[in-house]
Amino acid sequence: MIRAKGLTAGYGPCDVLTGISVSADAGQFIALVGPNGSGKSTLIKTLGGLLAHRSGQIRVNDKPLRDLGLRNRARTIAYLAQDRDSQPAMTGQEIITLGRAPYRGHLGHIGKTGQAAINRAVDITKSQAFLKRKFGTLSGGERARVLLARALAVDAPVLLADEPIAALDPYYQITMMEILKAEARSGRLVIAALHDLALVSQFTDHVWVMNRGKIIAEGSPDAVLNVQTLHDVFRIVRPESGFQTLSVSGTHVRDGCTF
Amino acid sequence: MKYYFILTSVCCIAAVLSLLTGTTPIPLPAALAALFGHGETAHILIMQELRLPRTLLAGCIGAGLGASGAALQGYTRNGLAAPGILGFSACASLGAVIALYSGLDQWVPVTALVGAAVGVILIMFMTGVRKGAATLVLAGVGLGALATALTGLIMNFAPNPWALSEIVYWMMGSLRNADMGALYICAPLTLPGLVCLIFIGQDLKTLSLGELTAQSLGVSVVRVQTLVVTGVALCVGSGVAVAGSIGFVGLFIPHILRMAIGADPAKLIGYSALGGAGFLICADTLARLMSGPGTTLYLGILTSLIGVPFFLWLAVREVRA
Repeated sequence: MIRAKGLTAGYGPCDVLTGISVSADAGQFIALVGPNGSGKSTLIKTLGGLLAHRSGQIRVNDKPLRDLGLRNRARTIAYLAQDRDSQPAMTGQEIITLGRAPYRGHLGHIGKTGQAAINRAVDITKSQAFLKRKFGTLSGGERARVLLARALAVDAPVLLADEPIAALDPYYQITMMEILKAEARSGRLVIAALHDLALVSQFTDHVWVMNRGKIIAEGSPDAVLNVQTLHDVFRIVRPESGFQTLSVSGTHVRDGCTF
Repeated sequence: MKYYFILTSVCCIAAVLSLLTGTTPIPLPAALAALFGHGETAHILIMQELRLPRTLLAGCIGAGLGASGAALQGYTRNGLAAPGILGFSACASLGAVIALYSGLDQWVPVTALVGAAVGVILIMFMTGVRKGAATLVLAGVGLGALATALTGLIMNFAPNPWALSEIVYWMMGSLRNADMGALYICAPLTLPGLVCLIFIGQDLKTLSLGELTAQSLGVSVVRVQTLVVTGVALCVGSGVAVAGSIGFVGLFIPHILRMAIGADPAKLIGYSALGGAGFLICADTLARLMSGPGTTLYLGILTSLIGVPFFLWLAVREVRA
């Protein structure tokens, strides 16, 4: 689905990525891990066509990414940004509907397929309670859910998510990971930059380990997140018992102003 | 749709009131007949040559200012953005002041438009097209400050008090020179400007998610920036060219409508165009009513005087809410 070869990309005079070659297929849930500043966000932006690569090539379904055209690319690759930023006065509904932007005309008409994709995204993320509320009044976790619903509403075969679970409580982290995993199981390619190695080993199929702008290891979580890598790349000691797994014990959705 | 209907009705009522206002009282039936060329010659002359172009011009300029303000507030994602923020109104003013300084009064619209065009070229040259809203505003504020300083320099060296007072009055903004000629300059430029701005409404809405996410949804940042700059320059430049600088409309009309109707930047551009038109027609009518023989109340002063207290009231209400 996505094949990248010899990628170099960066900002200003600096190359952040050097010589990256990766390949990813439909149905995979890939975790992109690595220390802060290792180039995870840059790789995600580059694979999504949001940052032009300086050398190398990216092919999506055997076509060069550069030849896809704006709309076509937007329909193929959905991107969930790291900062959960939007116009505070817009409602959850308005924001989720923006996910259909690659399909709408200049007057903003959303067709039947679009409405179905929106409804599905709202169901999956359980965002019904946030549809009428203004974005500025939502909590961090609620914003994350609305923005995930926005990204899912694109209904693209590829979803790139930049730290989708950062700064969320354990319950939200696990439910987000479950949603992303289910999306991959339904045939999408999901690539997510993640920091929580326990959740990575619990939920993902495949791990890309980045360090200083290069992919230094890849494979299944158990094979890659070994004592040596953790020491070399993350400068931490892996617990002998392995990573702990967590699961949710119930649902708890805040409705309006009451808890 | 409901709001379009309400705002259009407001504009129509304001236009009728404006057409009936003037030093010569003309009753409604006679005024309507005169508009279509029937009745007394004097009435026909007043209605067709003076009042109609003035009302249409006020609507045209107000629409351009309102839409520009809404588009810029959406594009910069900042409610404090006003049409003047890109510096085009200061550039157009500079162009006009150069003509007034040189005693070439009839060339004011042309030099003002040239000033706005030079402003566009400088902005494009300074920022390129893919730097994003923050760089554009920074360059625009700088450009505006430079044009204002040069305007001050010219006033400093004004050849005589008459030229200076002419410049000062012109800068206050008014529609006293409104005629069909002014309308023919303003309307053909404002309309394509409005089209540019309304055209990017949906993209601006998507941009509220941030530039990266908007790009991922297929928004071309280059196209949006080009259309914002072109649209604002056409609307603001043509307005300044025929009426001088009229402040505050572009800032507070979108602001009020956002609070009253909703934050969707796409809808807000159209609403603000209608709201700006209605407001400026009313303000001009009021300015004429308040001007007596020998004293003229300038439109630009009145718009600020009406706008500022209302704006402050809204701001205070927002703080206390």
